[in-house]
Amino acid sequence: MADVSHNAGPAERVVELHLPSRLGYEKVAMDAAASLARRMGFSSDRVDALRTALAEAITNAIEHGNAHDSQMRVLVMLTVRPSELVVSVADQGCKPLEPAHLSPPPTIEESFKRGDKGGWGIWLIRELMDEVEFTTAPSGGNQVRMVIHLEKRS
Amino acid sequence: MYDPSISSSIDLSIPSELGYERVVREAVASFAHRLGFATERVEDLKTAVSEACLNAIEHGNAQTPGLRVDVTCVWDGSGLTVCVQDQGLKPYSGHVTPGIEQRLRGDAPPRGLGLYLITQLVDACGFEPSPGGGNVLYMCMRRCPRA
Repeated sequence: MADVSHNAGPAERVVELHLPSRLGYEKVAMDAAASLARRMGFSSDRVDALRTALAEAITNAIEHGNAHDSQMRVLVMLTVRPSELVVSVADQGCKPLEPAHLSPPPTIEESFKRGDKGGWGIWLIRELMDEVEFTTAPSGGNQVRMVIHLEKRS
Repeated sequence: MYDPSISSSIDLSIPSELGYERVVREAVASFAHRLGFATERVEDLKTAVSEACLNAIEHGNAQTPGLRVDVTCVWDGSGLTVCVQDQGLKPYSGHVTPGIEQRLRGDAPPRGLGLYLITQLVDACGFEPSPGGGNVLYMCMRRCPRA
């Protein structure tokens, strides 16, 4: 686990989680992230949004990036800052993300044409999180970085 | 989809700060629950893991900012082993924690029940040598077949 340096700023705290590339394990990360987010003071609907976005990001990493290879790992990093939580999900990327999947949201018609009715994950993540960025992980795989802001609600 | 007969592992790393043990507790509980452990066993494991992380933060890492606590959870198909590793500023002295009776009699200080509690909650535990230094506490829990 010493492969990631923790160059966290003085006000940052990093929690790191390595999961096998197998469907079902996203729930472990969802529960860990929800625990952290509740502790930070996020409302329950924001915690639910985070759980859903994280589930989509990890299942994408397992199904697409790591192509269901259970020997590969998914790295989830949760960076706690005073006013936000940064969540990044990285795979080992044997299958790079197609740029076409990143831009406009899929239409219902397109989705129905697909056998699995999928393709909504990235759209959903963008709807749920405050900032979303797709990059390449230091390991070379795909990485999605999501930020959720801690809003002081009246 | 989620086949507990297949071995698997998860790794976690947290800042050595009080409060972060809860994140480990939730992750380990989630893992154990999905491996088919009974709720009561998952609760025992949560308590044991919390105590182990608190020991690592308070004692092993001597509450020093910037240090880490690393946790690995390995499922071998019939048992779950959780290892909690600190950076060993204070090595574990190897003494056996006195039981509750000695404490009630006043023969031992009231605090420091963490390790004793862990031994009561899991099927096996102990310290193992770490090549990189630091204290490594392992805790094993076997999964009993569901009635």
